[in-house]
Amino acid sequence: MLKYSIKRLARSLITLIILITIVFALLRFMPEEGYFNNYEKMSPAQIELGLIKMGLKDPLYVQVFRFIRNLLKGDLGLSYRYRVNSPIAKIIAPKIKISAKLGIICMAISLPLGLALGVLMARYKGKFWDRLGNAYIVFIQAVPNAVYFIFIQLYGSTWLKIPMLYNENDWRTLILPTISLALPSISSYAMWLRRYMVDETNKDYIKLARAKGVPNTTIWFRHVFRNAVVPIVNLIPGSLLMTISGSIYTESFYSIPGMGGLLVDVIKRQDNNMVMVLVVLFAAVGIVGLLLGDIAMALVDPRISFTKKEGSR
Amino acid sequence: MLNNGDTILSVKDLHVKFSLRGKVLNAIRGISLDLYKGEALAIVGESGSGKSVLTKNFIGLLDKNGWVDSGEIWYYGLESGPVDLAQYKTEEDWQGFRGKQVAMVMQDPMTSLNPLKTIGWQIEEAIKLHQGLQGEEAKRKAIEILSDVGILEPERRAKQYPHEFSGGMRQRVVIAIAMACNPQILICDEPTTALDVTIQAQILQLIRNLKDKYGLTTIYITHDLGVVANVADRIAVMYAGDIVEVGTCEEVFYDPRHPYTWALLSSLPQLGIKGQDLYAIKGTPPNLFNEIRGDAFAPRNPHPLKIDFLYRPPYFDVSPTHKARTWLLDPRAPKVDPPEIIRHIQGIKLDTMDVKANGGEQA
Repeated sequence: MLKYSIKRLARSLITLIILITIVFALLRFMPEEGYFNNYEKMSPAQIELGLIKMGLKDPLYVQVFRFIRNLLKGDLGLSYRYRVNSPIAKIIAPKIKISAKLGIICMAISLPLGLALGVLMARYKGKFWDRLGNAYIVFIQAVPNAVYFIFIQLYGSTWLKIPMLYNENDWRTLILPTISLALPSISSYAMWLRRYMVDETNKDYIKLARAKGVPNTTIWFRHVFRNAVVPIVNLIPGSLLMTISGSIYTESFYSIPGMGGLLVDVIKRQDNNMVMVLVVLFAAVGIVGLLLGDIAMALVDPRISFTKKEGSR
Repeated sequence: MLNNGDTILSVKDLHVKFSLRGKVLNAIRGISLDLYKGEALAIVGESGSGKSVLTKNFIGLLDKNGWVDSGEIWYYGLESGPVDLAQYKTEEDWQGFRGKQVAMVMQDPMTSLNPLKTIGWQIEEAIKLHQGLQGEEAKRKAIEILSDVGILEPERRAKQYPHEFSGGMRQRVVIAIAMACNPQILICDEPTTALDVTIQAQILQLIRNLKDKYGLTTIYITHDLGVVANVADRIAVMYAGDIVEVGTCEEVFYDPRHPYTWALLSSLPQLGIKGQDLYAIKGTPPNLFNEIRGDAFAPRNPHPLKIDFLYRPPYFDVSPTHKARTWLLDPRAPKVDPPEIIRHIQGIKLDTMDVKANGGEQA
C-alpha cells in the first residue's frame, strides 16, 4: 500500500514538473507588458533592465528551476498588474479560504443528500421517488445554472429576509450560495449513484445473495450500495480539493471574494506571474485529487492490487 | 438407486405466466411433478423450455414480471407441516425459506460472487443467517465447509477475494455458500456450463459427494445429457413449458417414449455415425405467447398423429416410475417405432456417456 502510494506520488510529481515547464515556456511567449504595471510609459532600455532584473533574460531552464525552487520555499512571487507588487500568496490565501469554506459546506450537505436520493431512486426504480428524482436531475442538468441561481437569489433573500450579498460576519449570507452550489452537486451524486446501483442489482452475485436468503434491506446496503459507491469514492477527494477553485457564477452573484473567476481576471489583465501560479495551483490540485481518489478507491476495492499480479488465475 | 421414499416437494398443475411487452407469455403450462427426498432429479430441455423458470418458483426468485397463475407447490420439508409455495408472494413470505430450505448454485461462477467481499465473509453470511452461529464459530464453520468442497489451505483461502480464484475454484465456493445454508434441496442451474470440460466432471463429482454425505435432494437443470447420465437418478424432459416425459435415468435413456425425447437423444453427438451429419431437430419451439393446441411438439414431429394437433395428450404410465405425455401411448394409437438411432442407445453403457466426451448443447 505504502509502496504503491509512494510510486504514484513520484509519478504525480514528475507530471507536475513537466506541466510547470510547459506552462512556463508557453507564458514566455506572452507580451512583455505582463510584467510591468506602467509598461506604456517606460523606455525600451528601462524595460530591458526590468526584465534582466527579474531574471527573465536568463535561459529558460534556469528560470524554471528558479521558479520551482521558489515554489518549494513557499514563495509564489509578486503580482505585477492585478495588485501591484504584492505577494501572490497574500492575494490568494484569503480567497482560497473563502472558496474552500463555501465548497466544503456545500459538499458536506450535498454528498449525503445526493447519495440518499440516489439510493432511494435505485431502490424504488420506476416508482414515485425515482420519477421525482429524475425530474429534478433533468431540470438541474438541462437548465443553465444562472437561471435558477437568479431565482434562488431573488426569492430566497426576500422570503428568508436575509441580505442578498455576502458578508463575512453574517453566516446567514452563506445559505443562498450554498443552496445554489448544492443543487447541481446533489443531482450529479444522485444520478451517478442511482446508475451504479441499478447496474449492480442486475449482477449475478446479487441473485446469489438473494438465493442464499439474505434479507432485502441487507442486500441493498451490504451488497448493492457498498459496491456501487466505489466509483464515487474515487471522485470525492478530487471534488473536495477542487472546492478551492471556487465557482464563477455563485461567487459573482453574491459578490463573494473567492477564487471563482480569478484566473479569468488575471488573464484579462495579463498578469503573467499570477496566471502561472494559478495554473500550477489548479493543476497540482487536480493531480493530487486524482492520486488521492485512486488511493481511496484502492482502499475500498480489493481488486485494485498494489503489487504485481501473483498469477493466481 | 431410485428412492421411493418421502415426497419433499410436490408440484400440482402449475401454470406460470409472464407479462412481456404488453403480452402474456405462458412459460409453464400445467406441470405436475413430485420430488423425492434424497434423490437427484435432472431437468433437461432446450433453451426457453422453462427449466429455470420452473425451479425459480421453488426459491421465490421468479422475475418481477412473472407470476404463478394457478397450481400448487407443496413443500413437505418443514416441521410445522406442508406449505404451498405458490401462495408465497412477498419477500417477507420467502424470508427464512430461501437458502434455509432450498439453495441454489448458479451457472456462472465468474459473476456469482461479490467481488468486494472475502470468500470467508460470503460463506459466513449464509452461516450466520441459517445456522445461528456467530463470530469465531461462524468463521471456523466457513473454513470447515471450504475444505469440504475441496479447497486446499482453507484458512488462507477464506481471507482471499473472488478474483484470486479460478473458475472451477469459484464454483466450489458457490457450492460452499449453498452448503453453508444447510438446505434440504439444492438446485444446480447448469452448474458446469461455464466451466471447461476438465473441471466439469470434478464439480459434478463434488455435488454428488455432498448429496450423499448430507442426504441432499438435488435438482440439476441442464441441456447437457452427458451431465444427466453422470449424476441423475431421475430425468424430467421439458418442452415448451411442460414436462413431456419423466422416468428413471435408465428408463428415459433406454426406453424413451415421447417423440421429443427421441429427437433430443438422437441429437447426442456420441450417437452420431462417423461421416454422417449429426442429427438436429427441425423447426423451432412454439411461440409461448400463443395458446398451444394439442401436443406442443407435433409441428416438429416427423411422424405426428392427427390427434396431436387437436388435443393435448394426458400422461400415460409406462411403469410406476415412468410416464410420458404422448398419444402414442394410448392403446388406440398406431404402433410407431422410435428412430433407428434410439435403438442404438441400448448398446451404450450410461457411464461411458462421460461429460468429457460430450459436445455441449443439444438440440
